[in-house]
Amino acid sequence: MNTQSEIERSHLTDEQFADLLLGTNPSAVQAHLKACTQCAEEAERVSGAIGSFEQHSRLWAERRAATRPALARQPAFEWLYRPQAWAAAALAVALAAGFTITAHNRRAAAVPADGSQTATAQTPSVQAPATPAQTTLPAAGQSTIAQAEPAPRVSPATLKADNDLLSAIDGELRAGQSTPASAYGLTVAVQGIRTRSNGMINE
Amino acid sequence: MQLALDPDIIACVTAEPTLTELNDIEALDRIYRSRLLRFVAYSTGDPDLAETVVQDCLLKAYNGRDNFRGDCAVYTWLAHIALNLVRDHQRTRKFQFWRKVHSTAPDISEMSQVLPSHESSPESQMLARERAQQVSIALETLSLKQRTVFLMRFIEEMDLQEICQATGMQISTVKTHLHRAVKAVRFKLGGRIE
Repeated sequence: MNTQSEIERSHLTDEQFADLLLGTNPSAVQAHLKACTQCAEEAERVSGAIGSFEQHSRLWAERRAATRPALARQPAFEWLYRPQAWAAAALAVALAAGFTITAHNRRAAAVPADGSQTATAQTPSVQAPATPAQTTLPAAGQSTIAQAEPAPRVSPATLKADNDLLSAIDGELRAGQSTPASAYGLTVAVQGIRTRSNGMINE
Repeated sequence: MQLALDPDIIACVTAEPTLTELNDIEALDRIYRSRLLRFVAYSTGDPDLAETVVQDCLLKAYNGRDNFRGDCAVYTWLAHIALNLVRDHQRTRKFQFWRKVHSTAPDISEMSQVLPSHESSPESQMLARERAQQVSIALETLSLKQRTVFLMRFIEEMDLQEICQATGMQISTVKTHLHRAVKAVRFKLGGRIE
């Protein structure tokens, strides 16, 4: 049996004190607390302070939590409410548009280089013979401009010779055939019709 | 971020699975928000950061509720998630974190204006407030691990096994941190240190 002086000389160690606060009270610690008022008071003071801290911090947390909006259920389409999703979608659209425009520009830049589609209305050319299904008769006085097929380049001299030949043929045909109008003494002025079944002439 | 507890730190079944509250985010928020807020606020020393962490924690828990296997209490699982989030913040914003610990820690003097009515007298209320303040100051001197296990044990009243599950530490490590934390608090409260 320890005497009072021995008890006072050997107060609770830190480990014993921590075990006391943790609730594991060995019999030696219990005996010491009964005999040593200093350790008993200190244990009461520390555990009381921790209890006060627990109480105060709980009140603080409850007040703080009460002032904040509560979490709501997540909507079914949660991503609709996320700005990151919208930013990603906008970026994807911008990238797609960029690729499309770039590809279009490249294609447009490549066409003049080979000259395959540079036929214009101002270029005099003799068109390749059209199939009957593709042949269209223009209205009177309207020049025919064909753009569907690339036309071979013809020199002006050749073009003039062709036109003279066709004019001569026209003249012969008009002179040799009677039309319903000529039969009744009527004159019909037909100008500018250059389309023939075997081809078209543009000037 | 790890949502499920590591299998090696789960030693025993401590609680029945309470999946109903995990399936209802409003119930989850109502039941656990203030507890988590207190734990994270005093772990980090930053109430504003604690708000963010708790928000993330509850959302992670709700979204990952299928990972909860029911082999520990829901709060233990939530504390584990919150602790990982705190560590993430520590890693990513170490400087700001430690700077804020000393500048924006929860102020006991503010919170103690709402004292429970069963306190015996104004003097005892004042004394309790001062002691709580001393504990709060002592907590700021602890490392994160010491502070975490101290809060879990004495404030959240988790047992050692639950602390092991939430922190992933061995029980001997938990005890060591607890002893050091108690020693610091005891010293701050004017106790005798051997």
